[in-house]
Amino acid sequence: MAQLKPGEMNLGTTIMAVQFKGGVIVGADSRTTSGTWIANRVTDKLTQLHDRIFCCRSGSAADTQALADIVKYYLQMMTQSHGEPPRTEMAANLFQSLIYQNKDALMAGIIVAGWDKYAGPSVYSVSLGGALNKQPFTISGSGSSYIYGFCDANFKEDMTKDEAIDFARKAITLALSRDGSSGGVVRLAVITEDGVERIFTPGNALPKFWEG
Amino acid sequence: MKAPRATSTGTTIVGCIYDGGLVLGADTRATEGPIVADKNCEKIHYLAPNMYCCGAGTAADTEFTTALISSNLELHRLSTGRDARVVTAMTMLKQMLFKYQGHIGAALVLGGYDVNGPQLYTIAPHGSTDKLPYVTMGSGSMAAMAIFESRWKKGMTREQAVELVKDAIESGVFNDLGSGSNVDVCVITKSKVDYLRNYRKPNEREPKEQSYKFKRGTTAVLTTEITSLVDIETEPSNAGASEGRA
Amino acid sequence: MEYNGSAVMAMKGDGCVAIAADRRFGVQALTLGTEFQKIFQMNKYTFVGLAGLASDVITLSDQLRYKVKMYELREERPISPETFAHLASSSLYEKRFGPWFVEPIIAGLDPKTGEPFIASTDLIGCINFAKDFVVSGTANSQMYGMCESLWEPNLGPEDLFETISQAMLNAIDRDCIAGWGAVVHVITKDKIVTKHLKGRMD
Repeated sequence: MAQLKPGEMNLGTTIMAVQFKGGVIVGADSRTTSGTWIANRVTDKLTQLHDRIFCCRSGSAADTQALADIVKYYLQMMTQSHGEPPRTEMAANLFQSLIYQNKDALMAGIIVAGWDKYAGPSVYSVSLGGALNKQPFTISGSGSSYIYGFCDANFKEDMTKDEAIDFARKAITLALSRDGSSGGVVRLAVITEDGVERIFTPGNALPKFWEG
Repeated sequence: MKAPRATSTGTTIVGCIYDGGLVLGADTRATEGPIVADKNCEKIHYLAPNMYCCGAGTAADTEFTTALISSNLELHRLSTGRDARVVTAMTMLKQMLFKYQGHIGAALVLGGYDVNGPQLYTIAPHGSTDKLPYVTMGSGSMAAMAIFESRWKKGMTREQAVELVKDAIESGVFNDLGSGSNVDVCVITKSKVDYLRNYRKPNEREPKEQSYKFKRGTTAVLTTEITSLVDIETEPSNAGASEGRA
Repeated sequence: MEYNGSAVMAMKGDGCVAIAADRRFGVQALTLGTEFQKIFQMNKYTFVGLAGLASDVITLSDQLRYKVKMYELREERPISPETFAHLASSSLYEKRFGPWFVEPIIAGLDPKTGEPFIASTDLIGCINFAKDFVVSGTANSQMYGMCESLWEPNLGPEDLFETISQAMLNAIDRDCIAGWGAVVHVITKDKIVTKHLKGRMD
């Protein structure tokens, strides 16, 4: 598997996606680093691939942007030739094959989430080596290791939208307070049949936890 | 054996959006290791009539990538009959840099004005991009970012933005060893570009007070050869009678 | 660059330019020849000095001469030194990932206006347009020091000769793999004066 090349931009990162009743939520922190330097403190790691499909990017900024651009292009072509919006699974499979076939050159951990009329809300994670997993919720990135416990303890299937937003925001906040490579603001996007709603939480409006 | 070193631009480059336009800034020092190779080089490159691009990193790479993309944008403009957009230039640059996997050492600040208004991007050598209202790159980026983070605000005027960019570059010039000499500024608005070459010269050299001029004949010479470059044309024999040709 | 050793520089004067180079050919510390050509005349008013790996100096000088001749045949006019600098720069960047180990210096007068022009490029073709002087080769830090102190604006051809000669000779005396004599060309609108200088042979 590829290593980050010297001087390459890294999306230190905490990202997650959560299924709830009627939709999915994708969430991310906003820190991009180059070594110890914060190259961007308000990065948008939630990339819209289609009307109701998003991906969350972690790993090398260059690699994940290039991948997202390719997948976005494919989905656009697919929509034209099939005459209907693509499924979330389609996007996830595209990422999987690109990452697996180029696993020696890429550093990309990606979460794909979206809503389509066949599967409803769904969440997929594509790991570094190119393994694809369908899960009810998933977390990824360097910051995710700090919040497995929190997520396992608090995740419930078929949450309401507000419960899910609260869960995601709390989880990312906890991760970015412990992980040096994650930080900044919390960005969330709620994807349902009705469309996409973006939620921005600045650093001074994050939920409060014990800070010692 | 030591591999020869290419010229790199130690560099402070910045960009900043204001209401109705954007300002790009750069220092003018080029270095080869610890040696100052050029005291007044140009780091703000032309891309299109509405787009300019600051370059940091390997000097030849920034020069040639911007020239190549500029040429492709001109062709794009001719074939579509429209002004090229900033995202188009950004995508062309990132796809080329990504293809070369960071071996083309060009770190760029791209600024331009199109139908979507003023836009500012940074493009790192590996091909990642960021879109922000104020950006810095190069070895002096920390010094310059400190100025932006403390003084940038929304809705600045052109004069305020130029002043801020100038101060950010000067911060790089004086605090970063890889950056130095003068400040170049480029203001891009809807209909006009003002390229202010050497907008500030905070490091002018004092004129020498005495001369080291050598007396003629100081240098010991072994051989001298003179090649005359004057074309000798002989005038026709009845010169003076008719028109004289020199 | 340190394999063969070299020193080349050029200076701008009032209506004239000068270009100088050392004459040593050696392999690391071993000197094998003292008549090695490093400056090449491309046309009437354009000269190029090549510092670096000797084999590449020969190959590249031939290639550049070929390109200049093709240009002049096609355009039916002499190439200007500025255009030549861009030609050299593009030729070098063509080999971006396997470069010629050569750092060229260009000096000449514009064939139309007679305007003096000097420039240098690095080994992958980044051009440095200077208004005073350019240097290249293993003795480059010494040459920078000499030129910064000796050069002054508006020197005539005779004074420019003394300035560049002294800058060159004193610089190569502090480089043990460059020197063994030097050559200077002073180019003016109506003549080229080529002088071989007496220098230390150790």
